Amino acid sequence: MRNMCVCDDIAYLSPKMKIFELIDSNNSLLSIFSRLNIKLPFGDMSIEELCQRDGYSHELFIMLCRMHISSNYRPSHDEFSSEMLPQVIHYLRATHNYYIDYMLPHAEKHLEEILAYCDTLSNKQLRRFYGDYVRRIEEHLKQEEDTLFTAIDSGMSACRAQKFDLDMPHTDIDDRTSDIASLIIKYLPEEAPTQLRCAMLKDIYSLRDDLRRHAAVEMYLLKPLMDKFLKCDQQ
Amino acid sequence: MKCYHIAIVESSPIILAGVEAILSQGGDVDVVLKCSSLSELAARMRGVDIDVVLVSVVQSSEIASFSELYDVPLVGMQSALCAPDILRRYASVVTLYSSYDELIAAVRQAVDSPVEKSHADSHELSERERDVLVLVARGYTNKEIASELNISPHTVISHRKNIVHKTGIRSVAGLTVYAVLNRLIESE
Repeated sequence: MRNMCVCDDIAYLSPKMKIFELIDSNNSLLSIFSRLNIKLPFGDMSIEELCQRDGYSHELFIMLCRMHISSNYRPSHDEFSSEMLPQVIHYLRATHNYYIDYMLPHAEKHLEEILAYCDTLSNKQLRRFYGDYVRRIEEHLKQEEDTLFTAIDSGMSACRAQKFDLDMPHTDIDDRTSDIASLIIKYLPEEAPTQLRCAMLKDIYSLRDDLRRHAAVEMYLLKPLMDKFLKCDQQ
Repeated sequence: MKCYHIAIVESSPIILAGVEAILSQGGDVDVVLKCSSLSELAARMRGVDIDVVLVSVVQSSEIASFSELYDVPLVGMQSALCAPDILRRYASVVTLYSSYDELIAAVRQAVDSPVEKSHADSHELSERERDVLVLVARGYTNKEIASELNISPHTVISHRKNIVHKTGIRSVAGLTVYAVLNRLIESE
């Protein structure tokens, strides 16, 4: 029974499922299509057909969709194949770009709109805090790309890649993401309009949820794939 | 091993001497003050580094006013049956039959968990917590804060836990923004 999916709400995903039905059942999955730049329209294409067209493993695609829908889902190691490893790296890189090119600028745009209503002091502090937050995320993503992904790409430094600490930086970023939400909900001066605050909070919570999913993909998909398919040549 | 600085508040000299004798069995604690009442402790504790107060639950009538002024965790010493709402005012509780290990465990529990007080539901920071927050925001380490405020590092950690609990903000950077937004520090 190990590694069995325990979530009824993701059991409906299957290779034969139509892409329209998939998105219609949970439209937050659209962000996966967006970050992978999967071309629309899909017509009556199934998951299996779409993955065949674009060169993805449909088993992996379904795992990613399930991880996106349910934080409790853990992929079965028995279904892993070696072709998944570079594809997971491709997905993680696409996710990094999605954060940097889309999610963070989107949140920043809303923050700037809020800051226009704040006094100079609050404005300066919040801008600095957000700037530092973005810098930390960017540094973490770059470190992953330079150290972990490159090592996996080359296949030369498997041991070094396996030693990469996947967990620690995520905790710090998660704390700071929650801190932004707390500051905006609880402490930002009341001059900032509610609708702008809510728009910013929606961005921040989406980002927080996605960063958590991202960490889960690294921990429960990338790491076991590395353990299974990367071999250390030396101790 | 960390040595906890303890004040004992007990009106009975015999019990007080007994508790002190038991505590002297190990090297985990240092009894820095012995008083017969919380009001006496309040008068004598200025400038004394105290991590935790071991206090007879007989003194419970003074707890509310003491806790309003001081953020030192209290360990209750129970000598008779007590109403549960009275015992909830203490961070942990021991009895007159507790062993040395049980006493130390209660002290650790009191120091390591956030201070539970009569106004624990309040999200207002106490004066001491504000002092700690300002120094955190200025980049002081726990050790430096302890030295600056003349309290122990344990107490600093306890205050920091309370600050995080009350503000909902975990990172030092976030706490700095909080301190500025609430005009606790000037932005440089």
